Amino acid sequence: MSKQNENLLFHTFDDTLKPQIEELLSLGKSAGADLVEIFLEKSDNISLLAEQDDISNVSPSFGIGAGIRVFLGSKDGFVSTNDLSKAGLLFALSQALGMLGLKMGAHNKSDFAGLNILKDYGSEKCNWLDKSPDLNESTSKLLESTNLLANKNKDFQVRRASYSRNWQEVLVAATDGVFARDIRLHQTVGLNVIAIKEQNRATSARRYGSSGNPDDLRNWNIEDSATELNESAKKMLHAEYVEAGQMPVVLANKFGGVIFHEACGHLLETTQLERGTSPFHDKVNKQIAHKSVSAVDEGFSNHAFGSLSMDDEGMEPQNTLLIEDGILKKFLSDRAGSLRTGHPRTGSGRRQNFSFAAASRMRNTYIKQGNYSPENLISSVENGLYCKSMGGGSVGPTGQFNFSVEEGYLIKNGTLDKPVKGATLIGEAKEILPRISMCANDLDLAAGFCGSVSGSVNVTVGQPHIKVDSITVGGR
Amino acid sequence: MNKSNTNTQIEELNPSVLIELLDKYSKESNIKKWDVGASSSRDISVQVHQGTAKQLKGSQRNSMTLRVWNDNKVGITSTSDLTNEGIKKAMKGAIEASIFGNEKESPEFSSLAKAPLNEIHIKVDNDHGIHELLTILKNAEKKLIDTHISIDSVPYNGLSESQMERLYVNSDGANRYMKLSQSSIYLYAKGSEKNKKPRSAGSIRINTCLSKLDVDSCIKETSNKLISHLEYTAIPTNKYLVCFTPEAFLQLISAFSSMFNARSIIDGVSLMNEDSVGKQVAVKNLNISDEGLHPENVGAFSFDGEGTPTQNINLIKSGKLINLLHSEATARKFGVQPTGHAGLGAKVSVSPDWLVISNSKAEIDKNECLSTKSTQEEYILIDELSALHSGVKASQGSFSLPFDGWVVSNGKKTSIEAATVAGDILNVLNNIVKIEDEQMTTHQGISPYVWVENISITGEA
Repeated sequence: MSKQNENLLFHTFDDTLKPQIEELLSLGKSAGADLVEIFLEKSDNISLLAEQDDISNVSPSFGIGAGIRVFLGSKDGFVSTNDLSKAGLLFALSQALGMLGLKMGAHNKSDFAGLNILKDYGSEKCNWLDKSPDLNESTSKLLESTNLLANKNKDFQVRRASYSRNWQEVLVAATDGVFARDIRLHQTVGLNVIAIKEQNRATSARRYGSSGNPDDLRNWNIEDSATELNESAKKMLHAEYVEAGQMPVVLANKFGGVIFHEACGHLLETTQLERGTSPFHDKVNKQIAHKSVSAVDEGFSNHAFGSLSMDDEGMEPQNTLLIEDGILKKFLSDRAGSLRTGHPRTGSGRRQNFSFAAASRMRNTYIKQGNYSPENLISSVENGLYCKSMGGGSVGPTGQFNFSVEEGYLIKNGTLDKPVKGATLIGEAKEILPRISMCANDLDLAAGFCGSVSGSVNVTVGQPHIKVDSITVGGR
Repeated sequence: MNKSNTNTQIEELNPSVLIELLDKYSKESNIKKWDVGASSSRDISVQVHQGTAKQLKGSQRNSMTLRVWNDNKVGITSTSDLTNEGIKKAMKGAIEASIFGNEKESPEFSSLAKAPLNEIHIKVDNDHGIHELLTILKNAEKKLIDTHISIDSVPYNGLSESQMERLYVNSDGANRYMKLSQSSIYLYAKGSEKNKKPRSAGSIRINTCLSKLDVDSCIKETSNKLISHLEYTAIPTNKYLVCFTPEAFLQLISAFSSMFNARSIIDGVSLMNEDSVGKQVAVKNLNISDEGLHPENVGAFSFDGEGTPTQNINLIKSGKLINLLHSEATARKFGVQPTGHAGLGAKVSVSPDWLVISNSKAEIDKNECLSTKSTQEEYILIDELSALHSGVKASQGSFSLPFDGWVVSNGKKTSIEAATVAGDILNVLNNIVKIEDEQMTTHQGISPYVWVENISITGEA
């Protein structure tokens, strides 16, 4: 076999690789490992930026790599490498084994019975890359959007549109027989503007994303997006700073769901249980939220940003009911989380790329819709805040969270009043979940990126309009 | 660069092999001008949980960014595949991308890409086994937990060592190469007292090698902080006299570093504009410089992404903005020299290296008598800011950030349960009432304690 044939880089990821991978896995098992897993990845990405009326950045990137993980008892060693040669992979395996005190070349009794028949989730997706818009089409689409923004508002001093297309081919193999391949395609479009008028400045941004839909950019409704952004910027340009205090808050649907994602979702990952930082660790089948709250995490929604055919450990995703009528039902678990906490795997083992070991991560996470209309929620508030558009947020190790409000309005006597800026929502998951007292009937989802132990992964957040009876609003 | 097919360990980046390959592929493609930035790293890290290994990690990583000039249009491609085939594919990708290059903003080679470099003496000394790291971290975890009965765990922790190489070469003969090593430890502990909420605190240390890493001071700082947060109080929403610790003030200034960034100014996303240089933007006693060559900056490289030598540069002197951070393209536009703060791209980013804050002594501080050692008046001591990615609007100058800190009254520190600080960065810079003399080194720069009056804080009382 020539050197080139030994390098997995030059192979398509298919079952012809089976003998080479089985050889590697056998070596790991013979060395005494409980389980050995190999994750191979190729990526082909493009990111584009249009500023004002020009394309200012076109950045293609290609990547290759492998991650090898070895389990022994509850411990694991993980090594990643760009070197997909046989020698490179053997070196990575020996390093991972060495971390656990194991040596390649030992001849322990191995129960490795070989890999299963390849489960190929990517076979119908081979044309996704070719079907995606080429540079000509995608740059034209971005310029169309910045031109439209210019026409909408002469106060836009900065108009930016960005597009990224991330294509990834992965192969997962493990000594429990798992042998699976997938192709993933994620596309995102971002629009942001800075409006300046006299002494006032306002920034406004929107992001849209999809998975498994090569036509996504092609079908993007630029007019709707530009109109939505323009309306938001116009209102926020003259917004005053919000006054700080405790108040009831109505959070809009779609990206409003980031509050549940950060404040609760992360605490339901076994990764958090392993660290002993989740306040919900002993609350299965107990009331942790208001009875109006039911929430799920799933990987199925058509073209949703967090959907997958298989997770990064080769398991099909599940529809995981997290909370039902306020009662905690289940945690999200990956292979290591299951091993260390006993919670069964849910197809939630995810990683940014080969250089991260998989961890339990959210996919499409949302609060289910209720029976109220959004207007019912707003009319129930005498003095409070309506958060129409949320910015980012974060959660501390014991559940403290904070979120910035991008577009907010005061609620006075049950109706929307003037726009306000500078608001931050601050609280603690355990205390806020029981205060979500009303859920509207307008569930919608939004794409986002979630950064955590296994890197940045594509997720969907979502919810209907919800009302929180009382929360601390930071302001001036 | 094709040796990765045969060798079992990461190859050191080899500029001459890379230049030879790029010369070959560029000639085949009729490309006369190109440059490349490449990096390679090898690192190992450990995490522990209650005395046992939690995760042990190692990685070998390569990456390369290639730019080509094709009829004066620039195209770029990045890849982690440094085999011959990978480099050839990158050349093809960059040529394709160049068709969409922006002629109005086309970068050039830095005029300083072949200038002499300032020497940085960094000992490359990381070659410890993973088991040695594991032993050190297990001991650190135990020592930290043993410092106080209420500290129950160290849920976030890590010890790592790494070696990094970086090079920049171009078709005009520029040839830069540097290698450095780094070790770091972080400990983030959790504790609670009966009938109280769990509290947490952490600290980090970074140095050039494991033997220089001050693990004991990391343990001590984490423990002292966490113990001080176990008893806490809610504070009312109000305007306060605030003292920022060196870490917190550096966090805030770094979050608004687009003020000094020529790229951001040109793009219209900075608070400053092209006429701001020479203007008073802060109290006269404030000096801010960027000192990538500072001996305490353990991650210093001697050149930037475009091969320009790293330089120390004064940004704010006696409250006046006097210089900006530049890439080749922004420097050309402003009619100055590049400053060594560039990345590498078709549109080149600019960023600071190592901020140093000091008192210029241009005048007496507005409230000269303030001191963290002796002030009896009530004030809020802000130790660490959170959520900087979401709570800062750099182009508007506003911020609203949760923080860890204490209310200090008659010299007694009481931890604040939960609070957010909000304001406008220019107001902060102009409401500084005292910059203490003693500068402290942190992992992100150097600063003294800085006192600011009339700051909005939202509490939960």
